[in-house]
Amino acid sequence: MPRIIACYKWVVDEAYIRTDSSPELDLEYADKKMSDYDRNAIEEAIQLYEKYGGSVAAITVGHPYDTKGVKDALSRGPEKAYFINDPSFENLEPAQTAAILADVITAKTEYDLIICGEGSSDLYAQQVGPRLAELLDIPCVTMVSKIDLAGEQLIAERKADDGIETVSLSLPALLTVLPDINSPRIPGLRDTLAASKKPVIEIVKDELSGNFAPCLQVLASFKANMERNGQKLSDEAADIAFLLDTLQSKGIIARGVK
Amino acid sequence: MAGIWVFAEDYEHNLELIQGGTELAQKLASKIVVILPHNAGNDEKAHDCIARGADEILYLPPLAEDEDFMACIPLIVAEVLQEKPDVFLIGSSLRGKELAARIAARLNTGLCSDCISLELSADDQSLIMERLIFGGAAVQRVSIPTRPQMATIPPRLFSPAAVQEGRTGNIRELPPAPPSKVKILGKKTRTHEAAALTEARILLCVGRGVEKEEDLTLVRELADLLGAEIGCTRPISDEMHWLPEECCIGLSGIQVKPELYIGIGVSGQIQHITGIRDARIICSINNDENAPIFAVSDYAIQGDLYKVLPLIIEGLKK
Repeated sequence: MPRIIACYKWVVDEAYIRTDSSPELDLEYADKKMSDYDRNAIEEAIQLYEKYGGSVAAITVGHPYDTKGVKDALSRGPEKAYFINDPSFENLEPAQTAAILADVITAKTEYDLIICGEGSSDLYAQQVGPRLAELLDIPCVTMVSKIDLAGEQLIAERKADDGIETVSLSLPALLTVLPDINSPRIPGLRDTLAASKKPVIEIVKDELSGNFAPCLQVLASFKANMERNGQKLSDEAADIAFLLDTLQSKGIIARGVK
Repeated sequence: MAGIWVFAEDYEHNLELIQGGTELAQKLASKIVVILPHNAGNDEKAHDCIARGADEILYLPPLAEDEDFMACIPLIVAEVLQEKPDVFLIGSSLRGKELAARIAARLNTGLCSDCISLELSADDQSLIMERLIFGGAAVQRVSIPTRPQMATIPPRLFSPAAVQEGRTGNIRELPPAPPSKVKILGKKTRTHEAAALTEARILLCVGRGVEKEEDLTLVRELADLLGAEIGCTRPISDEMHWLPEECCIGLSGIQVKPELYIGIGVSGQIQHITGIRDARIICSINNDENAPIFAVSDYAIQGDLYKVLPLIIEGLKK
């Protein structure tokens, strides 16, 4: 029966980034949320548990005040959570996150399968999963849209640019999952209450072995300017005719087609 | 002479990376090394790459049909450790991204994922790269203190390198790959939809504002008149299942670059907007005056799409 670890990240909700014209990225009033793709990672772990038994633990790296995220993760079904935290673990780059996770997973856990989201909804670098697999020296398949287990063998469907591959690999292994693999359930009041009674294993920086220096330096962050000073039109015939005339004069569309 | 290495699954994409590498190589006085899939006795592509700027070609070994492409990772890592390139650019296909992250982990080096801009620092010592974060709402500017500096590069960031006269280069084959831990049991070639969408000149995108699946008939009629392809937002493919997942446009779907994009009942979540940011003209139809897509539109039609679409169709037939 598989012992599953679901990795998640508690991230700034990008919906709070105001789309005004100032280039400054102001996150002071931004709320945090479960990274979108990690909802699928946790849900998939729970669905495999419901099908095959075993256990599910959640793991994250973050700032000590991200306890709300731990509760959120536990309300989605895992029986316990590993919360690796330090004030300096707020803005880690993917190589650091993967190294810290690998350190703790090796020292403190036993597992058969690790599931990550395909990327995080803040950085979306899509590196932590595959990097973690390399550091743990276990087989890895990314962009998975279907998982079946048969004893120690795992069968997965992986998306690639030229099609879908069905692959087999032995446990222990790491998979990153796509958003279309499942529809994450929404935790109810009972789940939230149950979550506060589940064990949380806190791991602080002193317990880690390594210095985890960044391999990627952030020089600046600023709002993307994608605004186009568009023309406002109504759904009246005159406006639509104007639009078609304009597009035609730009050589984009042809008229009079049958 | 430190090298600039490039690899992309797709051959055209590969030529674009050679171009990107060449621009850097001129300033860094370094050579360009291109990694290519096994040649099967045909060196045509290798010679083409050399003519377009490559100084050295490294052939990956042939792989048995059931071998995972990632079996090549240890070979590439061993070469990098020996040759110590300065820069390693990898095409950001789905396999390319996994490959890059795993190689970077083994080399303990930094990787800029989906780099959208890349230039040399003022002292020519390192790359200054930009990438999108928060679903595309913000940009992060990064540099990599470790070597090689790695980045995954989306298609069409550079134009393909042009053929130059009288260029020469070396061709070398990497040793066989150790057996991979992941075996391929089968492959389903993907439907043409995604390829058609990324190439489309005119693209219609179906969003949640479209009320019923039957209403796609109206969208299809318009698409036929315009010679357009039809894509959708994530809820339409993942929740409503009206169109296949391959048609989903956005950060975690496909990125498109049409001459004209028409959003039909698309509200404009940032992840979707990121997938269309390179469209030449963005036109959107939505009944909500606060729809975020209006801010990034060239033509923002606030109104009822069931009134607008017939008017456009009628107008096109005139």
